[in-house]
Amino acid sequence: MLLSRQRRVLPGFRLTLGFSLFYLGLIVLIPLVAVFAKTGALTWERFWHAAASPVALGAYRLSFGVSFLAALVNAVFGLLVAWVLVRYRFWGRRLMDALVDLPFALPTAVAGVTLAALYAPNGWIGEWLAPYGLKISYTRLGVFVALTFIGLPFVVRTVQPVIEALDLEVEEAAATLGANRFQTFRRVILPALFPALLTGFALAFARALGEYGSVVFISSNLPLRTQIVPVLIMSKLEQFDYAGAAALAAVMLVVSFLLLLAINGLQWRTARHHQQT
Amino acid sequence: MSVEVRNLTKQFGRFPALHGVSLKVESGELVALLGPSGSGKTTLLRIIGGLEFPDSPDSRVFFYGEEVTHVPAHKRRAGFAFQHYALFRHLNVFENIAFGLRVLPFWSRPKESVIRARVEKLLKLIQLETFGNRFPSQLSGGQRQRVALARALAVEPRVLLLDEPFGALDAKVRKELRQWLRRLHQEIHVTTLFVTHDQEEALEVSDRVAILREGRIEQVGTPQEIYDHPATPFVYDFLGHVNVFAGRVRDGAVEIGEGRFAAPATAGQTAAAASAFVRPHDIRVTRQPGGPAAFAARLKHCHAVGPFARLELERLDTRESFTVQLSQEQFQTLQPRPDETVFVELKNVKVFPEDYSI
Repeated sequence: MLLSRQRRVLPGFRLTLGFSLFYLGLIVLIPLVAVFAKTGALTWERFWHAAASPVALGAYRLSFGVSFLAALVNAVFGLLVAWVLVRYRFWGRRLMDALVDLPFALPTAVAGVTLAALYAPNGWIGEWLAPYGLKISYTRLGVFVALTFIGLPFVVRTVQPVIEALDLEVEEAAATLGANRFQTFRRVILPALFPALLTGFALAFARALGEYGSVVFISSNLPLRTQIVPVLIMSKLEQFDYAGAAALAAVMLVVSFLLLLAINGLQWRTARHHQQT
Repeated sequence: MSVEVRNLTKQFGRFPALHGVSLKVESGELVALLGPSGSGKTTLLRIIGGLEFPDSPDSRVFFYGEEVTHVPAHKRRAGFAFQHYALFRHLNVFENIAFGLRVLPFWSRPKESVIRARVEKLLKLIQLETFGNRFPSQLSGGQRQRVALARALAVEPRVLLLDEPFGALDAKVRKELRQWLRRLHQEIHVTTLFVTHDQEEALEVSDRVAILREGRIEQVGTPQEIYDHPATPFVYDFLGHVNVFAGRVRDGAVEIGEGRFAAPATAGQTAAAASAFVRPHDIRVTRQPGGPAAFAARLKHCHAVGPFARLELERLDTRESFTVQLSQEQFQTLQPRPDETVFVELKNVKVFPEDYSI
């Protein structure tokens, strides 16, 4: 029901809903409307010219493609990290737990500069990879590394509480029914974690799409090769092409929104039976 | 012999859970493991199921003569039902029951039509034919436990292990379900061990009862045997309310206050202090002293609600309290009044040497 009016702990349903709407409007909605308003100043032809130029298309492909891959890698390894943190007791576990949050707190520019230095051909990690012809800094791989770095905590922190809440007896039940470890993971644990994993994936993906600060340092930012959309938008702004930047922003907004909506739909479908208790 | 354990020993940290427990269960038998919490009954069940492993190298577990001591749970074919059901919440009832068949290696996995038929049959057995599409969250506690049982039975286990299967249910559903379990067992005859701390449940459902205390088996026997001939004061006390009287054994009888009661089991024993155990319904209360087999007591309280009346009495000499159970008819005839002095006769007195304690 849209306007459910049962008695609740928080008083003043109308007041709190009104405030929530006002707050969301101020912080989220108005800036978004401004993006479309700015875009609206363009003719269709100019919009199309700005938003569908080869450089823009290349940047979309890189932004969405690499963000997706980074979020996917984070979904796998973030799940692993969360699992280890919850299920095992070892020396330094709390430290490791705290380390996970670091990408949240670290200024992204610092992350970008540090990663670029580490993965450069003369950096601590890059020098081991250079002999094999593997270049990371200033390439697409570098963009991928940066986006993976900033997305990790989102997966770990969404999956961790769900792993904590898993019922060990359910795993034992699967074992007594003849399921081996892999089958237990695949058929019992993963389905229980999937909604949370999807949320973590969506958050990491969304975060990667919006990332600017670290990528600008680790990437060579070459149009059509290593330039992501936010960097392209920034370069348009630097050339005082506000309408062009707004057109790109509008495309990013719509596509991101649709993707997140789709992920939410998928999540709703899988979470349906878990939420009824 | 379908399940046999020998010398099971298990410790959790510094807490010893089992001390050299041995037990044999015949094929098709329904055996209850009864004991207070912390007695090791669940640990014993989990070791049989392969969810826990014994510590000592002398410990052995056999299924139909085959040693399975170190075989992991998923290779044991021991069905297990948990107190809190442990159903798979993301699967509906049908898929929960089919789970054990679907995880079989592909060369021994039945065809879809066979799986379907077997699940349908089990749904019928647990009287939930129309519930196949429901999810566990849409079932009541009793229904969930029946689904958990069907799920365990689907793989045709060599032994069925139930860990306090009715522990989380309310009293009425509990009673219905244990009668249902009894009927089910008569129908399918799979060797079953079940853990309970409820003596009434153990005595009503099982063919034999094993009573555990502090990691050891105190007594094993049919419900009748252990109720009529408890081997230790602990068993006596655990199987229902019991009164303990301090007395002396002499010449094959036990002296309690001025009363003398026959205790044939003590014949030939030297005179010594002893504890006499008497069930509340084996005590007769009269107003006239009935010869040597009676002693005097003061009546403290009467509770006469329900089919039985309960009297709280106090021995005049030692001021020990004890409880008497009378039928409503006896209660009406006697018409006892509080603070009245009455005479007490005991039947079926069981004497254990003094150094035993409950």
